[in-house]
Amino acid sequence: MLLFRSLLCAIGLAGVVYAKSSKGDSVLVVVEPKQQDNYSIFFNGLREQGYDITFRAPKAETPAVIEFDAPSFAHVILFAPDTKILAKDLTPQSVVDLLSHNTNVIVALSSKQTAISTLAAEFSLVLPPPGSPLMSYFPERTDPATVVPVPVPASHPMLTPNLPPVWFSGVPHSLGNNPLLVPILRAPSESFAAEIDGGSADALVDAAERGGEGLWAGSQLGLVTGFQTLNGARITWVGGVDIFSDEFANKEVVKGLKSGNEQFVRDISAWTFHESMVLRIDETTHHRVNSTTPLEQYTTNDQIVYEARISSYDPKTTTWVPYSGLKDLQLEFTMLDPHIRTALLPVKGQPGKYSVTFRAPDRHGVFKFVINYKRKGLTYLQSSTTVAVVPPRHDGYPRFLSAAWPYYTGAISTSIAFFLFSAIWLAADSRDQKKGKGHKSE
Amino acid sequence: MPLKSSPAQPPAATNAVQTLWKAYNDQTPDRLKFIDAFLFFLMLSGVAQFLYCVLITDFPFNAFLAGFSSNVGQFVLAASLRSQVNPENKNEFKEVSPERAFADFALGSIVLHFFVYNFLG
Amino acid sequence: MFSLFPLLLLAIGTQGSVLTLQSPRFKVTSSTGTQLRTEPISFTQKSSTPVTLSQTDILKLTFQVVDKETGDGVQPHQTFLRFYDGKTGEEGIQPVRVTSGGKAKFELNMAKPPLSLPPTSDTPLHVSLIVGTSTHSPMILSLFDLVVPASHPPPYHPDEASFHPLPEIHHTFRPEQKLPLRPISAIFSLVVIAPWFILLGLWSQVAPRVPYLLSPSIIPFITTLGAFEGLLVWYWVDLKLGEVLLYGGALGVITIFAGKQALSKIGDRRIGRK
Repeated sequence: MLLFRSLLCAIGLAGVVYAKSSKGDSVLVVVEPKQQDNYSIFFNGLREQGYDITFRAPKAETPAVIEFDAPSFAHVILFAPDTKILAKDLTPQSVVDLLSHNTNVIVALSSKQTAISTLAAEFSLVLPPPGSPLMSYFPERTDPATVVPVPVPASHPMLTPNLPPVWFSGVPHSLGNNPLLVPILRAPSESFAAEIDGGSADALVDAAERGGEGLWAGSQLGLVTGFQTLNGARITWVGGVDIFSDEFANKEVVKGLKSGNEQFVRDISAWTFHESMVLRIDETTHHRVNSTTPLEQYTTNDQIVYEARISSYDPKTTTWVPYSGLKDLQLEFTMLDPHIRTALLPVKGQPGKYSVTFRAPDRHGVFKFVINYKRKGLTYLQSSTTVAVVPPRHDGYPRFLSAAWPYYTGAISTSIAFFLFSAIWLAADSRDQKKGKGHKSE
Repeated sequence: MPLKSSPAQPPAATNAVQTLWKAYNDQTPDRLKFIDAFLFFLMLSGVAQFLYCVLITDFPFNAFLAGFSSNVGQFVLAASLRSQVNPENKNEFKEVSPERAFADFALGSIVLHFFVYNFLG
Repeated sequence: MFSLFPLLLLAIGTQGSVLTLQSPRFKVTSSTGTQLRTEPISFTQKSSTPVTLSQTDILKLTFQVVDKETGDGVQPHQTFLRFYDGKTGEEGIQPVRVTSGGKAKFELNMAKPPLSLPPTSDTPLHVSLIVGTSTHSPMILSLFDLVVPASHPPPYHPDEASFHPLPEIHHTFRPEQKLPLRPISAIFSLVVIAPWFILLGLWSQVAPRVPYLLSPSIIPFITTLGAFEGLLVWYWVDLKLGEVLLYGGALGVITIFAGKQALSKIGDRRIGRK
């Protein structure tokens, strides 16, 4: 999948958590060279984790993201929300191509409408009209209304627990009901999107009454949202690029409490770059109970054992570690439609192993063991193993049943009677007897 | 002697059956009665199995077929043996000696039993 | 998420003046115009009983936003009503039109509910008023709980179900064959054996004498016939087809010879006598 394995930078400062992606280390950052230093904390953080960063101006042609139909980088960060027209190989279509080639992307938006922002609609994200960023009068603060401290969910599978609020400046977006979306950060309830200057109360009410999208307000709006495509590539849409900036990382939300920006952006880049919440199925096997060899065909009503081994990626050690934390994994035994769907439960004492025993249906045909596990934020686990189920062979049926005892005795007694009959017949006198008239001979 | 089977005349019917039985007893050679006893046994045994199948269960149907046809087939073979060794039928079976008849009977029975045990399950 | 930073409000300090509401009250009328409930809204506590609206009722909310010190009317940039379902987390924001003098009037007609109303069920919605402006400190006021008729649930994406555990499917197997009770089968086995008594009884009367039973020409044939029956019973219990055909073929060859010998002896005897 990757063409280049870039050289690793020297691993830097002591005490830094070294966490690497499971998909590759090369990162391309598209950012105006003048603004590159605004995000030095973020980029240095990535470098310390072992990523190899290449910078490129939005209008520059090289390095190309896709060359000869193969991606040149494992991950791409687009920090050019104000550039209206980007270089020729950074079109919305090329972003989609990157995702279909398993390249992960972080895209920053702004209240300006660019070509990339029109792509957001393809991911079920609706942006407000251009020129209306998010603003909030709550909590009362000296910063402008468009710089909003946003509380972070205390427990989110992707984020460090109990992060302090993050500073945000940018646009919200409205989430569709596409299940592939992974909401990460939502707007505060009191916030709303409005024109920065000259926005009037009447304009807000008119917008709401006009219908359509109506009023852009409240916690139903998202600020940072992830999306995992069906082939596993992850893209994160961030409403404003300032959330990555050094200024916001160092700003205090409350006197004495630094904002959570630095850790927050590290967490979302960890998810997007396939460091966290990454699972894979190592192997699946199936066999009859009391046996270990997988068969190509099973008989109806057989007791079949299906096992799967699942590991999760540990970014700190860059190894795959057996993972038994899936509580609702399901196995389907399918022939056109699922005939059996059962829970695939973890085996106590064997980390990473999930097993279930079930009885093959009494229908014969070609079946598939299907695992299709999709949950928000986790990699999609899919596996399908084809196997045949045949009716019992002619000698596979139960024999010597108690219900058939009379028939067995009938057959055997006929045999014995035949034997006795032939013995007596052969050994007898030749048929020379006169018919005894009136009395029987003894 | 044809049986008068009119129900309005029970004494005559019983009389006819008795006459038939007497004639049978007197005129049949012992060897043939020997075979007849065998035939009667097979018939009873087959009826017993049939009753079980009808009244209780026919579940291993293959076993019922095997057991029942064992009786029926043996009955047919024994009946044909009887007609071939019957001295009154000598004109019908000129080229078949009683020994040949018995050899056919034995071979047929062995083959029949093979199929029966094959199917008995 | 309903988020407040009370620390922030106290620590950072007010931007300036404080807003307040003058004569806030709400009124519930039915579609025919009869007044069902009217109450002033208190600043200190939320209304204790939830406001219940049926499908044709109308809720009217009136208040005036004024500066607390001067008493002048203020038109805030942001005057929103927030409807929040605590159980599902669904939220709806509805702006309230405020005149430049600060007077505000809001009407909620359940016959034509606004799009901003979140999907509802049995749980009451928390209603609060959010007032924000750049000139004064922002204000949030918790108004009352609102109970409205349940609405349709929000439409789900067709693939949404595959992101949750799906219902388990169990295959209904054909019921096991019920076997009759063993004693019944045993009894009928005895019934099948019973004709033996009749057979033996009849044979004892009509069986011919057997002077030649042990003669060396007859015995082999009888034993091979018996061996065949034994082989077939063994096949029923244990053997496979190939094996039984093999043994049967070998035994058959022997039987043919024995049979020829026996039957020719019998035949000779019969013809000789005759």
